[in-house]
Amino acid sequence: MEWKDVIPVIAGAVVILVVALVVKPALLGEPIGLVSHGSVPAGDPPVYVSSAPVPTPTPFVDDGEACTRNFRWTAIDGGVRTTQVTVPEALFLAHRGTPRFSDYNSWGRYALADTDRPILEDLARRIAPPTANPDEGYFRLMNLVFFVQQIPYDKDDNATSYTEGVLPRHAIYMKDGVEYPKYPVEMLVDGRGDCEDAAILMGGLLDALGYDTVLLRYSDHMALGIRMNEFNPYYAKYTPKYFTYGGKHYYYVEGTDFKWGNVSVGSTAIWGRPLAIGDTSGTGIPSVRSETPQIVPLRYVPEPGEYRIRSARLPAGGA
Amino acid sequence: MDPDSPEPSGSLKLPKLPDLKLPKIAVTREKALAAAGTAVFVVVVAFVGGAILFNYTADQQVAAFHSHVSASEADLSQISGKITAHMRTPTNDLSVAECDAHVREFAAIANYGRDVTAYHRRIVSADTVPEAYAGAQSAYVRALDNLNRAFTFWSSAAGAYAVQDYNAANRNIAEADAAWRDYAAAITDYDRELRAAEEGAEVPPRLDEVLLRDGDDDLEGFQ
Repeated sequence: MEWKDVIPVIAGAVVILVVALVVKPALLGEPIGLVSHGSVPAGDPPVYVSSAPVPTPTPFVDDGEACTRNFRWTAIDGGVRTTQVTVPEALFLAHRGTPRFSDYNSWGRYALADTDRPILEDLARRIAPPTANPDEGYFRLMNLVFFVQQIPYDKDDNATSYTEGVLPRHAIYMKDGVEYPKYPVEMLVDGRGDCEDAAILMGGLLDALGYDTVLLRYSDHMALGIRMNEFNPYYAKYTPKYFTYGGKHYYYVEGTDFKWGNVSVGSTAIWGRPLAIGDTSGTGIPSVRSETPQIVPLRYVPEPGEYRIRSARLPAGGA
Repeated sequence: MDPDSPEPSGSLKLPKLPDLKLPKIAVTREKALAAAGTAVFVVVVAFVGGAILFNYTADQQVAAFHSHVSASEADLSQISGKITAHMRTPTNDLSVAECDAHVREFAAIANYGRDVTAYHRRIVSADTVPEAYAGAQSAYVRALDNLNRAFTFWSSAAGAYAVQDYNAANRNIAEADAAWRDYAAAITDYDRELRAAEEGAEVPPRLDEVLLRDGDDDLEGFQ
């Protein structure tokens, strides 16, 4: 065998290699040479874009026009108290001009409205002053409950429920009446409200004092649930009713229907009896006694149950 | 006239076949051994070269797969850190504005997770891997798909929250949880397939397949 016989063989091999490693990859858009065919142009890797920071709410100035309302109410010790509430008119009008959520699941946002918070904190401190004695915690709580329960009840359909004397333009007209969940300061300025208004106001006031509350929604009623570890007072002639949500016990609290009655027959003087925590039988509302309410948390954020990323083992033989 | 030497202008005369003679090749023992040795050498070189080239390509493919899974895991680890930090944030005393900001951050993580999983899914699924690794690759791509779906549901939940449709938000979260469980199952499959590929063993059946088969047996027993 001579060199002239080997040269064509080598030339043929070179042609085959060039075709396999250069021409074919070039035609198919694959990388040239002895590299993996898996690499594809995938573009730039994604970049994390953080969300915007929490915006600071614009405070309503106190030196403008204000709406003032005086409340006269009976505290848990039997004493009659008076409390004055002042709300910037601009805030009240802003709320009146705000469309309402038709979905009751988001009504907790009214109770926690940032703009109402300073007014509720101030009011809660005056109704239930801070005390160093932890035994007085219950009395503070009950004074807040009593205060709200004694605000007169009025239905959303009635023009008398609104200080302007007419239904707000964002009232929601439904087949069985009108629905208009009020911001807490709206109920305070109006001095009246229905069940969800009272539950929202009470929820806002109790939240300002650090209590954990939820809205209890029945088919035709709304009340408040207040979280307590154990509530079984010796004086109660009923079994306090509570509902479990997220493993916690929320006791029923009525926001309306302070039990009013005449002191005696023919007398115009009236006396009132509060509805105690956990007492559902005293409300006289059938749905409260027969239904299990839907629990609506004041604060809602979507919380996934599954969120742990598992680390996968890498294939052996890598770089 | 000599029949083997036809005249140029005469009629064509075919040679007589029996008279054809092959040239004699003088084959010596040394030349025969050299030719056979050369042929064997060429075959051996071609076989060894092919095997080396094949192994080299397979190793390169596994190395590329390793590199891509590694990059994907590094990014997922970053996302995991963000999720853990987010979920540890207490939400029981947030104001409405803080709740909104909390959900916006949730949406940002969801969008980032969705983009990252889609990006790595494109890369890993385009890998050419040895046949033994095809199951692992398929399971890993499936895991990324499920994670991508879970992040998409998270994003939808945040969008529903933004318009105060909390029922829709809850529905999306429930769907995301289901997709997340599918992701966890796919990662388990991936680990099993990878172990089988590296140990050269048979892929053991999945737990649900075993349960299903056992269930069938039970059913047969009752028939």
